[in-house]
Amino acid sequence: MKKQGLILLFVLGAFVFLFYGCPGNSVPEPYRPTPYTIDIPKGFPTKLNIPADNPMTVEGVELGRYLFYDGRLSGRTDPDSLMSCATCHLQENAFEAGINNPRFPGGFVYGIHGDTTHHVMLPMINLVWNFSGYGWNGFIYNDNPDADFRNIEDMVRAAVMARDEIDGDTNRIKQLFRQLPGYPELFAKAFGTDQIEFTHIEKAIAQFVRTLISANSKFDRYLRGEVQLDQAELHGYVLFTTEQGADCFHCHGGAGNPLFTTSLFYNNGKDTVFTDAADRYAVTGKESDRGAYKATTLRNIEFQAPYMHDGRFKTLEEVIDFYSEGLKNSPYVNPLMHHVAEGGVRLTPQEKDDLISFIKTLRDDEFLVNPQFSKPDKFPDQK
Amino acid sequence: MVVPLLFALLQSSCCTGNPEPDPQTGKIAFTFEHTVNGFPVDYDTMIYQNEAGNPYLVDNIQYFVSDFKLWQKGNYQLLDGWEDIHYVDTDIPGTWQYKPADDIDSGTYDSITFVFGITGEKNKSFMFVNPPESYMFWPEYLGGGYHYLKLNGKWKDPQQVVRPFNFHLGIGQQYNDDGEITGFIQNWFTVNLPGSAILVSTGATTQVTIVMNVEQWFKEPNVWDFNHWGGDIMENQEAMHTAVENGHNVFTIKTE
Repeated sequence: MKKQGLILLFVLGAFVFLFYGCPGNSVPEPYRPTPYTIDIPKGFPTKLNIPADNPMTVEGVELGRYLFYDGRLSGRTDPDSLMSCATCHLQENAFEAGINNPRFPGGFVYGIHGDTTHHVMLPMINLVWNFSGYGWNGFIYNDNPDADFRNIEDMVRAAVMARDEIDGDTNRIKQLFRQLPGYPELFAKAFGTDQIEFTHIEKAIAQFVRTLISANSKFDRYLRGEVQLDQAELHGYVLFTTEQGADCFHCHGGAGNPLFTTSLFYNNGKDTVFTDAADRYAVTGKESDRGAYKATTLRNIEFQAPYMHDGRFKTLEEVIDFYSEGLKNSPYVNPLMHHVAEGGVRLTPQEKDDLISFIKTLRDDEFLVNPQFSKPDKFPDQK
Repeated sequence: MVVPLLFALLQSSCCTGNPEPDPQTGKIAFTFEHTVNGFPVDYDTMIYQNEAGNPYLVDNIQYFVSDFKLWQKGNYQLLDGWEDIHYVDTDIPGTWQYKPADDIDSGTYDSITFVFGITGEKNKSFMFVNPPESYMFWPEYLGGGYHYLKLNGKWKDPQQVVRPFNFHLGIGQQYNDDGEITGFIQNWFTVNLPGSAILVSTGATTQVTIVMNVEQWFKEPNVWDFNHWGGDIMENQEAMHTAVENGHNVFTIKTE
């Protein structure tokens, strides 16, 4: 009898195991927004820097686009106090302010209180492939021991809270968006909850920023065999990729690295004395990183003026002159600046023109006007 | 009747097959170290002097090794086939180890060889799309494919001016009198490691350390003078050939 009871207990247990081991009939399906697939252009990296806790979704990207452009991201509604990412990051200038920006003379941006930012802007182009840290010195990076400074989501929060940028209060901001008609529904679609938290805001904006992909410049089309470069552009590309030419490619990529940056950090010979407390050394503590800053992507570089971390150069011509004749040697200059002892790569005027001709083939007009990246016609509460 | 059936069901749902007899195989794991004359490289410090008398420092080293072969009585086992191109970067600790996926028949092997760089057959542009390997691309104009080596540093010239060097190796070029490229030259080479007999034991991983002595690039059989060759050599086949001759003796091996 005892034995039969045990067998019966085992059989029942097995049935319970088999039943509840299967995906639940009784457990409600969690809400799943629509996955957003990034189409990886030919030759581009297949590894994407997307945090596991913020997968790309169609609804998240849509919401992020609204938030990117909505001046109420400052947490304020007074017309004079509106500020969003797009206040400074203009699509027509590769998501930089642009040197001819009427609000920010010379392209030097300042925050809601009028404080100029410590460095000039960096473009928002192809950041989904950046694993080397965000910002001129890469202070926000994936394996940062400080979990608050690891990815684009953190960059969004830092920009919103920084006094020299939006200087927002994250509690006030989330309360405001909870009250704006239309937004709670969009948050619910994106994250399965209409109880808006600031983490949802930063996640949505980060998702949108990760969609900002440039891969259709003239040079991209050349690589795809759709157009031909002219003689000046081709000669410029040879200069770009040769050590005896301008040797740009070791830091700024080329056909084999179509991001046109390594996203790494170099002291490129601008100075001999280094006093900036926010250079790469501030992040790594390595002496050789003094005066080092991120190599920017050269995609749409013609819209990224002013150039260098401090905006010291106004034109591409000035930048090329610097690399040709203006380099300064110091104990910290990166070894890849191997012409530094001669002051630079010593290009002729014709070579400079050809090099710029090539660099301008990295202009991606589609990126600059892509309606998917543009300001929405109306915000959710205006519909 | 129900109980045996349930047992059978549970058994079949959690096991994937009958156990195979244990194969007589082991694994091998390579670790890469970088030294100057027996001591770990002290990066970015001008404390070294090469055979030509040039004071120099090393900033970083990046390179590919491939086609690892274990030799036994004149026959070899190629590890990981086409997949075995391994990238080493002194700035990225995760690249300092290479663990081939292949199981290796247990036994004693006479020696290890590998290719420094990538053979011409495999070294094709655009095969690496992800960093850091993609950052090693060698411009198509200069032959395409990927750098075998980037050894970056600085040396002090006779006027005490500190100059950067980019000791980079890859596909070389032939030039005509007008400076036009007329052909390309493969510069990859096979590294034979003397005294590299190893024992691979069943079920165990044999640890092998491959040591690059940076100084050897500048020492033997050719004394490398930075003041002669300058800071960049990608477009100088004579310089790359000279470096390659020295490269044969750059590596040594340490086993457990």
